[in-house]
Amino acid sequence: GRGGMKGGSKVVVEPHRHDGIFIAKGKEDALVTRNLVPGEAVYNEKRVSVQNEDGTKVEYRIWNPFRSKLAAAVLGGVDNIWIKPGSKVLYLGAASGTTVSHVSDIVGPTGVVYAVEFSHRSGRDLVNMAKKRTNVIPIIEDARHPAKYRMLVGMVDVIFSDVAQPDQARILALNASYYLKAGGNFVISIKANCIDSTVPAETVFMSEVNKLKADQFKPSEQVTLEPFERDHACVVGGYRMPKKKKDA
Amino acid sequence: MALFLLHETAAGYALFEAHGIDEIGQNTEAVRNSVSDLTRFGKVVKLRSFNPFTSALEGLEQINAVSEGIMTDELRTVLETSLPKVKEGKKPKFSLGVAESKIGSHIQEATKIPCQSNEFVNELIRGVRLHFDKFVGDLKPGDLEKAQLGLCHSYSRAKVKFNVNRVDNMVI
Repeated sequence: GRGGMKGGSKVVVEPHRHDGIFIAKGKEDALVTRNLVPGEAVYNEKRVSVQNEDGTKVEYRIWNPFRSKLAAAVLGGVDNIWIKPGSKVLYLGAASGTTVSHVSDIVGPTGVVYAVEFSHRSGRDLVNMAKKRTNVIPIIEDARHPAKYRMLVGMVDVIFSDVAQPDQARILALNASYYLKAGGNFVISIKANCIDSTVPAETVFMSEVNKLKADQFKPSEQVTLEPFERDHACVVGGYRMPKKKKDA
Repeated sequence: MALFLLHETAAGYALFEAHGIDEIGQNTEAVRNSVSDLTRFGKVVKLRSFNPFTSALEGLEQINAVSEGIMTDELRTVLETSLPKVKEGKKPKFSLGVAESKIGSHIQEATKIPCQSNEFVNELIRGVRLHFDKFVGDLKPGDLEKAQLGLCHSYSRAKVKFNVNRVDNMVI
């Protein structure tokens, strides 16, 4: 039979609170992004097509929170992911590019995603995915050495980091010092186990947040990625924020 | 003492000249703000020369060298034609700010152009990166991204392909 979300006219897609993300309402609700390359799936994810009143069709791709920490953070109720249509994003730890492809959908044709991945095995999939998505700039390099890709990256609005390394706070800070605009934002996924498996996750998160604060970051919120990931948190905030108090 | 800046981009090599920037105040909020604001930053930093790559292949050769901290003959030509001459036996009255120390020491060794790479230079290069398409008149917004897109595909594809044994460079 047909897949669960292929309900044709039965599925209604509504904009999510976050610009560029949508909710498909069918038998079950699902997080979706508007497919930048209609007709193509990236990793065999399901797609839904919705017909507008004027007869034009729009295709969306289901975004699985069990496979994407950014999707898990959105469902976890994060207040702002800062990634929106037109954003320039530096994505560290791009892996095979499944989440990158959704970020590419969100930022759309006017945005750019610089996707950095060091592993050649995943990098191959990443480069292949980017062939069809011209807003993705795939970079096979070590995020520990941002100078190596200085010819490929411009200043960005947001850095998303999912490198799962013990020194990930330093890696984020180093990349921000090269490429993140003053007043820009960061989103970092922290896997407690990867940093220190001998202390409670909450202690690890707190110490990572303190490291970020020492490097001109201003963390503004932290959400847990339960029930999609165990002992994971997502921390969001600003970089080199102006010292002046903003008017309410 | 004059300070020049080398900015390597996907479209070509650019050299900038920085005037009257006080190194002492390098980390203050004021310097940071002036970097963000083009009208102020444009007064202290000016484009000296922009040397576009002539082909995609040349771009690939340049990035392969630059990412390893190596100065190519092309870069040497750019530096020697655009910067003041370094006279033998005389201490040069300028220095070149570079983004990374390895390429700096290579340039200095081969050309005797004194190079520096530090936090202060990095702040200025942040400003150059932020305003780059406004400095170079021939570049329209979006042009640099197109150059980055073309270059990254050839760079990354070569990286993935060269690894014929499929040995993964995993970091543990």
